[in-house]
Amino acid sequence: MNTDELEQLLAQQPVALLHRLARGRVHRHFRAGKRRLIELLLQHSSQNRAGLESDLQTLIDGQQARSDAGSSRIRRAPAIVHKKASPRGAEPDSAETAVSLSTWLEGLGVPSPQPFVPDPWQSEALSALNETDVVISVPTGSGKTYVAVEAARRAMEDNRSVIYTSPLKALSNTKYTEFSRIFGPEKVGILTGDRQENGQAPLLIMTTEILRNLLYDAASGEIDVRLDTLGLVILDESQYLADPERGVVWEETIIFCPGQARLLLLSASIGNPQDIADWLTSIRSTVCRLVRHSKRTVPLRAGYLHPNGKLTPLFRTLGIPYGHPSQLHPEAKRLFLEYEEETLPAGRPRR
Amino acid sequence: MPPSIHPVDLITALRHKHLTPAIVFLTSRRACDEAMETFDHADLVLPPARQEAIAVALERVMTQHPSIAEHPLIPIVRRVGIAAHHAGHLPSWKIAIEELMRQGHLDAVFATTTLAAGVDFPARTVVITQSSIRKSRDFTDLTIGEVQQIAGRAGRRGKDHVGFAIVTPSPYIDLMVLTKGLTGQPEAIDSQFTISYPMVLNLLKAHPHEHIQGILAKSFAQFQLNQRAELLEQKLDALHAEMEPFGPRVCTDWITQWHTFDHARRHRHTRHQTHRSESPEISSKLPFLTPGRVVGLSRGRGIVLRQYRSKGQKNSMLTVLRPDNAVTECPVTSVKEVYDRTYDFAETPTYPWCSTETFDRLSHQLEELPPRLPVLPILVSTGIEPLPDAIVQSLGDFPCPTCSSRPACQKDFTTASRLRQEQQRHTKSIQALRTSLWHRFQERVEVLQKFGYLSPATQLTADGEWARLIRIDHSLLITELIRAEAFTGADPSLLAGVLASLAHDDDRPGAFPRISPGLSSLLGQVRKLAESLSPYEDPPLLRADVAALVERWVADPTLTWIGLCRLTTMAEGDIYRLLARTLEYLSQVQALKFTHPGLAESASHAITLIRRGVLEELP
Ligand SMILES: Nc1ncnc2c1ncn2[C@@H]1O[C@H](COP(=O)(O)OP(=O)(O)O)[C@@H](O)[C@H]1O
Ligand SMILES: [Mg+2]
Repeated sequence: MNTDELEQLLAQQPVALLHRLARGRVHRHFRAGKRRLIELLLQHSSQNRAGLESDLQTLIDGQQARSDAGSSRIRRAPAIVHKKASPRGAEPDSAETAVSLSTWLEGLGVPSPQPFVPDPWQSEALSALNETDVVISVPTGSGKTYVAVEAARRAMEDNRSVIYTSPLKALSNTKYTEFSRIFGPEKVGILTGDRQENGQAPLLIMTTEILRNLLYDAASGEIDVRLDTLGLVILDESQYLADPERGVVWEETIIFCPGQARLLLLSASIGNPQDIADWLTSIRSTVCRLVRHSKRTVPLRAGYLHPNGKLTPLFRTLGIPYGHPSQLHPEAKRLFLEYEEETLPAGRPRR
Repeated sequence: MPPSIHPVDLITALRHKHLTPAIVFLTSRRACDEAMETFDHADLVLPPARQEAIAVALERVMTQHPSIAEHPLIPIVRRVGIAAHHAGHLPSWKIAIEELMRQGHLDAVFATTTLAAGVDFPARTVVITQSSIRKSRDFTDLTIGEVQQIAGRAGRRGKDHVGFAIVTPSPYIDLMVLTKGLTGQPEAIDSQFTISYPMVLNLLKAHPHEHIQGILAKSFAQFQLNQRAELLEQKLDALHAEMEPFGPRVCTDWITQWHTFDHARRHRHTRHQTHRSESPEISSKLPFLTPGRVVGLSRGRGIVLRQYRSKGQKNSMLTVLRPDNAVTECPVTSVKEVYDRTYDFAETPTYPWCSTETFDRLSHQLEELPPRLPVLPILVSTGIEPLPDAIVQSLGDFPCPTCSSRPACQKDFTTASRLRQEQQRHTKSIQALRTSLWHRFQERVEVLQKFGYLSPATQLTADGEWARLIRIDHSLLITELIRAEAFTGADPSLLAGVLASLAHDDDRPGAFPRISPGLSSLLGQVRKLAESLSPYEDPPLLRADVAALVERWVADPTLTWIGLCRLTTMAEGDIYRLLARTLEYLSQVQALKFTHPGLAESASHAITLIRRGVLEELP
């Protein structure tokens, strides 16, 4: 490929792909427009043309592969969601079949106190963890912390130590308080770059970067007793694996996680948790177990609040019509059109 | 009609319908702060009992985090039971608000959508006011995953039968993004694996060079690349089947042969100008000297591994596999014969230019070659003058005009050629997918060798041994600064100031009037070095104002937090984050205590000086 051809090929690509290509090559690439980005990439290509071309090719192919896979995914999607949403067939566009505001607001309130009973998926994850690594992908608010706490408790009863990581220092601090309350302050420690609190405790909380560094030190021969007795590593918010800047740290941590320790990955709902589990299976000694579900424990209802204070349901159905984004409530639709009409800058034609 | 609902009306409406507590996600910190201000004079005050409860709860968190005692929002929090929670606040403030929320004391919290992931507390209702968020400079639509993460905060287990996600419009909202987000399946996540200098050093510290490819192969990145490669391999298999009818004919490689003939026939007017230095005999051979081709040399035969032209060399060159696994470089002029025999070939971009399997197979095939092979007759065009049709037709050494298979070849050529091109493209892509990580690793290795952190045998040098402990952004710049003795004799405040300017990657403006001459000249030196390193590592922002701010905090132990905040327009939360990041960087430098005791000492001193007041409150 000569430079002109390369330039042309770059120009044909969507800008998102160019950004991926620019990662690690062009500083602050996300601030550059397409034209400028191409310029910068070409400039960079003078150092390593072959590398750039091969990465570009990889990305282009990947995109094709994804759009292939994507179309099949889309074809599959309605089959999955129908079960849950079961909207009554094709509904006529009348207000009659749409849920009323009073129905929509019904049932709101505080449930009577219930004895704590673990959910089936929580028990399943815990018993699987006796044998293998576990990946959990469930909606936010489902109760992943309970699994982490119970798993940590069991490991500690076995005289094994536990490391719990979170992506943000703020979250680490919250968990530190929470776990200290549960297990007693002497059992819980926290590590940051320059500070250790109770650093020899059996349950240590840290950010994923700190754990990655511990693992690198251990790999290069530094002795760390905390890793010798390590029985369980919990990576909370594992969907950070996809974070453009920091995702690599999760991969490093998982690759270098000691073989004798079980891995527990906690993640919000993501599209391909099976891939993560398959990946773990392919690099670790046991077959990783995936625990997933996509049903929220507390059901969700969506509403629309007009700037004039009027509230209406957002969808025709009481719950969320999964898989049917355009089943808007007629009232919400009308109000939103009105809103768009009125807030559109003067002189701009409506779409 | 106003472009969006007034915050007071919003809270009134939510309270009226019993939809509190709520988290209201707004576009910016500023929007959150302005929303809070609208409650200054609103008469939405809570009944005294609840005000009292909030006051008590606040007292309790204050004993743990004294820094929040003077927070300007406290009166509103107490009176109205609402608060703001965003990155401009101190962590202790956010912890306090989260605690109040968990205990059920507040009716609403205004938070920024950008930080939705950091909002780890639930409510009955979330209010969504926008469909896109600012990521660096651009606004991007919320992904399905992000919308569900936000909506996930609605509905507290054990405290709510149902949760509510309420959309209220603001200008530029795209309702479709939100309805898709609420009803859709979250996106698949992709690996974002990158290879950094410290990663290379740490890997090579612990593992021999030849094991690294195997380690990189364990990444999720490679797992996903393999998935794509497998898809392409399936396509390749299908292509192989399609190619079946176009196998060897009178000549094994009839596709290339026909291509050349066809080309000569059609382009005889514009016969390409070859390199002047090359005789027509040579240049007409070049299209056939492709990887996998068997050639006769002055002594014995060989298989072409690659064709290349080095700078300054007159002739095109070949890398040739000779008997006994010898790999030799020879000029094209030394090729005596081009045989009508090619072998399958999986190219690689580095020596020996093919995969190990190909190499082994080829050297075996080379041994097994029959003594006599058909020679490929090649049309040699001499003049620049276009050849008359008749001559092309009658040129005896080109077999196609008289070949019995010519009509079949002519008919099939287009399809066969397209299939073959596709095959080649896929093979190349698969190759790239399988080896791209390794190439990127090698690129990094070369840079580290160039700078002397790795020996030519890819062992860590003395400098590499300590440099591997610097595992942060801009690691190359930092280790180069240390090697250049830029920090020698620098006191803790200068060191902290410079590291702060390296650590801070936010360009949100913040003004600071003065910068000390010492720091200014040191920053100048850093800037110069960063520029010279820019081919190898992205230069940092190197903001002088944040450097000066941190320098002041370290140099003047009597400076209070309030005093520090007055020195700049940066938000408290940003100053805190700046200092926390600086601590991280300093702690990495502190780890160099065995090789750079003076520097490590200075770093550790700086850490102690930074850790005071608000920065003492949290580990
Ligand atoms: N089996 C259960 N029954 C009832 N409540 C539960 C159960 N498991 C978890 N919870 C509650 O659910 C809430 C959300 O849990 P959390 O672990 O924070 O969710 P996430 O999955 O987002 O990490 C917590 O208040 C927790 O006490
Ligand atoms: Mg959680």
